[in-house]
Amino acid sequence: MGKMKKIVFILIIILLASCKKEVFSPELTKEFSILSTSNGANYNIKVALPQDYSPETQKYPAIYVLDGEENFNFVAENCNTISSDFPTTNVLVVSIGYGNDRAVDYTPVEGGGGAVTSGGGAEKFMLFIKNELIPKMENDYSADTLRKNRTILGHSFGGLFGAYAFTSFNKVFGNYILLSPSLWYENEIVFRFEQGNRNINKNNKQLVFLGMGQLENSGQMLAPFKAFIQLLQNNYPDIKITSHIEPQLSHQGSKNPNIIEGLNFYFQNRY
Amino acid sequence: MKFIIYLSIFFLLLTLPASAARKDSSETAKNIYLVRSVTIEPAIGLNPYPTSDLVFSNLVQWNLKKRLSIVSHTSFALNNAFLRVNNYIKTDYNYTLSQKFGVGTSLYSKRSSHTFSFMAGMRFDSFKETLENPEFEKFSAKESFISPDEGLMYSLKVGKKKHFLSFRTYIPLYPYPFKSSDVYSLDGNMANLSLEFGFGIRLK
Repeated sequence: MGKMKKIVFILIIILLASCKKEVFSPELTKEFSILSTSNGANYNIKVALPQDYSPETQKYPAIYVLDGEENFNFVAENCNTISSDFPTTNVLVVSIGYGNDRAVDYTPVEGGGGAVTSGGGAEKFMLFIKNELIPKMENDYSADTLRKNRTILGHSFGGLFGAYAFTSFNKVFGNYILLSPSLWYENEIVFRFEQGNRNINKNNKQLVFLGMGQLENSGQMLAPFKAFIQLLQNNYPDIKITSHIEPQLSHQGSKNPNIIEGLNFYFQNRY
Repeated sequence: MKFIIYLSIFFLLLTLPASAARKDSSETAKNIYLVRSVTIEPAIGLNPYPTSDLVFSNLVQWNLKKRLSIVSHTSFALNNAFLRVNNYIKTDYNYTLSQKFGVGTSLYSKRSSHTFSFMAGMRFDSFKETLENPEFEKFSAKESFISPDEGLMYSLKVGKKKHFLSFRTYIPLYPYPFKSSDVYSLDGNMANLSLEFGFGIRLK
């Protein structure tokens, strides 16, 4: 039994070591909260500043990160690394914490079936980002005011929200990093939005990255993922789009590798 | 929170067989174990997470010595077996074929034996989905890929005769930690966790 105890002990050590959470430099992290007038929710916002941050002389592109409480440190660390690898100017990484349940804020209509019993807060959440958060970032943190220098990054329902931003609020963001997006939601509702707003959006210049995991075989991810890519490729002449299916990883496991792929695509191709 | 639950389940499954074996080890000392040389154990089972996959499998175990065995595990899983249309997305097919070999050790009691094996092999996954929403153009997409399959298997055999009951559980160690040390990738492991029940036949 001694051997078994040793094996369990070693496994615990491996697990604990891999649970270590990356924390982005506290000196370069600013934090504040906004009580939204759009939906009444209170959002905790974190901003990762570039190493050589000089707001008096420079305007910075910004990446708005959904599920910020989970993804902020990883995205900020990797923006730092990737931007210095190329090398190119780093960005402001803006983490949007949870003000409401994510199933409310990130979904465009009520429904979804299964565990999702309510939703439909995406429009108000989008108005919060557009009218409250982005102006604050531009005024207080020297975020660039051009659409092409604003990126949204989201995973799962966050990816659905990014797709909703693309189809219904295309003037807000010029770049989209959509990871395992729940495009199936409510009978592919974002496809309907895309169709409805295609003529308004199709000539806008934009970068789109779509990623998912190869093991996402639960019966609703792959077909809408590939159909959405084909729709954008066929109907948007000024789009630069790429996709990546992360081998042998599932919905959660593919998130971080796809964040790295998406950020590499963004830093390499930004216009 | 979700990951704490995953980890708890992972360790629970890891420690359950060990505690079962510990209970029986005193009896082992009395030398009343049941050792079969070669067994063949067909079974049916489930991969319970995140969707219910139906698994058909066969385990062949060859006990080289009392405490050393080599095993072969072959399985066919019909993935997402009970939900084939979802939001106008039809699953045309979705299956996994897996072949693993392993080395194990066994503990014995009067009426049962417990085998713990480290398994390694390959799996082939293939699935196809069709989006058939009447509002949009029909669209199909498919993926097929081969990946490593490594993990720990606990196999319980109950019964003394030529035919016996067989239960086994497989705890995958892929993609975490062999492919990725990111704890988020544990959902890939969970998707391949299986519980199988069947019967066994002693060949020798």
